[in-house]
Amino acid sequence: MSDVEIFRTIITEFPYALLGSLVAALLCAYLGVYVVSKRVVFVGATLTQVAVAGIAFSHLPFADFEPVYGSMVFTVLVTMSFAWMLQSKTVPRDTVLGASFVAAIALRILMIQKSAAAEVSEIEAILKGDILFVTAQQFHLLLGVFLVLMAIHLLFYKAFIFVSFDAETATTQGFNARAWELVFYLTVGVAVSVATRVVGDVFVFGFLVIPAAGAMLTARKVKNIFLLSVLYASLPPIAGLYLAFKLDLPAGPTTVTTALLLLLGTWVLSKFKH
Amino acid sequence: MKTSDQALVQFEAVTLGYRRKIIANNVSFSIEEGEFVGIVGPNGSGKTTIVRAILGILKPQRGTVKVRGRSSERLRIGYVPQRDSIDPIMPFTVFDVVMMGRYGRLGLVRVPTSTDRSSVLEALAHVDLLDYASSSYRDLSGGQKQRALIARALAAEPEILILDEPTNGMDLASRTAIMDLIKHFHSEHGLTVIMVSHLLSDVANYVKKIMLVELQFFQVGSVDEILSEANLTRIYNLPVTVGEWMGTKVIIARGKSV
Repeated sequence: MSDVEIFRTIITEFPYALLGSLVAALLCAYLGVYVVSKRVVFVGATLTQVAVAGIAFSHLPFADFEPVYGSMVFTVLVTMSFAWMLQSKTVPRDTVLGASFVAAIALRILMIQKSAAAEVSEIEAILKGDILFVTAQQFHLLLGVFLVLMAIHLLFYKAFIFVSFDAETATTQGFNARAWELVFYLTVGVAVSVATRVVGDVFVFGFLVIPAAGAMLTARKVKNIFLLSVLYASLPPIAGLYLAFKLDLPAGPTTVTTALLLLLGTWVLSKFKH
Repeated sequence: MKTSDQALVQFEAVTLGYRRKIIANNVSFSIEEGEFVGIVGPNGSGKTTIVRAILGILKPQRGTVKVRGRSSERLRIGYVPQRDSIDPIMPFTVFDVVMMGRYGRLGLVRVPTSTDRSSVLEALAHVDLLDYASSSYRDLSGGQKQRALIARALAAEPEILILDEPTNGMDLASRTAIMDLIKHFHSEHGLTVIMVSHLLSDVANYVKKIMLVELQFFQVGSVDEILSEANLTRIYNLPVTVGEWMGTKVIIARGKSV
């Protein structure tokens, strides 16, 4: 198959895979700037595993609902409990996250054991990062979530940025730092839950970290970090899908590997520049 | 101790703490408009707890905190946190950081106007950082960072300036420059200032009124009353000498082995 034919096939046969992975990448890349700058990358890792556990739960014999809702309920509940548990002064933050991470993986394995074989293959497709069969319905939900979350983040940009930089002083200026932190984590939770259902956990975690890291290596102003992170995220989904077709590889991990290569290139260039 | 309904801030029999742990018990004092107050005390004595209550971040477990005689009123505060408490991983420019001081006035969704930008530039000029407006905050020296945070507090057009350990970890020149700057805002602009510091000499030579915070124990008074040899020797459990040299108050602690 020629390169032109590959792109034609992707656009005509798998348009939602391309659009879905693009939208998921852009959303994760924007939120990832906060995730990386707040040094809570492990929250992203944990939430993606919780999202997969939620999907696995919705495939249990007694559960009869769209997996994305299971993913969303699990992720939002865990996010809200984080707001309380991560304040603890006796249990370190990474211990709470580590325990949640391993609990989510263990739960997922247990629930997969009790699911029907057909359902297991769907969960395995998510874990493998097989994103070709994204449906129109899944894409439209993801697009809706993207628009709502971006509207929240752009409208309340000042609050998110101030609380992220200096929560204590933000509180003295009338911003309820704890409430804004909760809103932030809820937006991350919702984004992760919906995006994981569409493009898989490896893709979501990868795009929460890699584009923001690349942007931080190059940007000299905060607004440029958001812009560059989103720009970094826009290329790998296209290149990743192309390479997945060309080399017969799962699209999710291929896209993440492409993003990593881009990050590596950026790092090398930034070293030369300095 | 003088208290009045016209006081800018008034603590009436206030008990502060975190859940069951009481940090300050039955504390009463007032801060009048235009005063320069120092809060001193050993590490972990509760200085920050008192400041958090003045800032409105920590609610009293008992008693009331009044602003101009009313418990419902809020002060417009210019707060300068300990600069090490800020993790500048993001490349904020100095202008960005100082603009945050305007966010409280702007509210949640309004964008900064030319008036806000002018206020930021004015605040930067006050602390002599105008030339650094487009520099990255994280690339500044410790003293410059402190100036930027003071500019941010001033950009809020505060009724009261509250500084938490503003000279911590600074060399002698930066420390003196920062203290002179704070003194300037107090004496020239009549700004009410509260400064937390564990450096007794800084406080002794700049403020008029001192709050000495010990765990579960609290004193308010003039510099001479509070920073007496007997008082400091008892609190720090060390022989402390208080003297004057060339018009400057000097406080020296001698180690037990000296």
